[in-house]
Amino acid sequence: MEKKKLCLALYTGSVDKLTAAGVILGGAAAEDMDVEIFVLLQAAFAFKKENAMVNDRVAEITDKKDDFLASLKRLGTPHWTAAFRKAKEVTSIKIHICGFAGKVWHGEKLDDFIDLADDICGIAQYIQTAQEADLNLFI
Amino acid sequence: MMTTEELKIVQVTKIVDARGTACPGPLLEAKKAVGTIKSGDIMEILSADEGTKSDLPKWCTKQGHEYLGTIEVSGYFRVFMKKK
Repeated sequence: MEKKKLCLALYTGSVDKLTAAGVILGGAAAEDMDVEIFVLLQAAFAFKKENAMVNDRVAEITDKKDDFLASLKRLGTPHWTAAFRKAKEVTSIKIHICGFAGKVWHGEKLDDFIDLADDICGIAQYIQTAQEADLNLFI
Repeated sequence: MMTTEELKIVQVTKIVDARGTACPGPLLEAKKAVGTIKSGDIMEILSADEGTKSDLPKWCTKQGHEYLGTIEVSGYFRVFMKKK
């Protein structure tokens, strides 16, 4: 059976949306989908080595941020990097850092980002992948 | 599908204890574990996640495995499946 493909344009740098992305990746992994993630703009901030584990910004319902983070802990929700990593163990997930986004956040080379990232790419790769994907998401 | 009585005594090859993880944790644990058992083996997944209760049977069937049934226990449930 041919594998379905998910193309995820990851724009967000906030942990609430990154956590949601992690849940979706888990679902895609369980369905044996091949996944390509394009790390754009604010997500490149979250993927920087010095930011990944300490960034706790949330995008929505910001006045309840402490509640939200406490709930994630209470539910044993893995950190988004752990969720991404776990999904990567189970299915093919390629994570591409958009070169422009990387530069915005002073990331010039792959080694500036956490080891989840596979390479640095340009926008044409995203557009081509999006055209070929069965499912496209923008988070 | 098996009856509850049949599920209680069925020979299980592998038990996956995914209690303590929220969606999609139990699903991923099941996916990983099913790769380690042989065709025809029965696997039992323990989960306390309500969403997983409907997810696992659907996933099981979609992957071509046989969903055998679920037993609800206090605080969690036991999902049984046979690998295709």
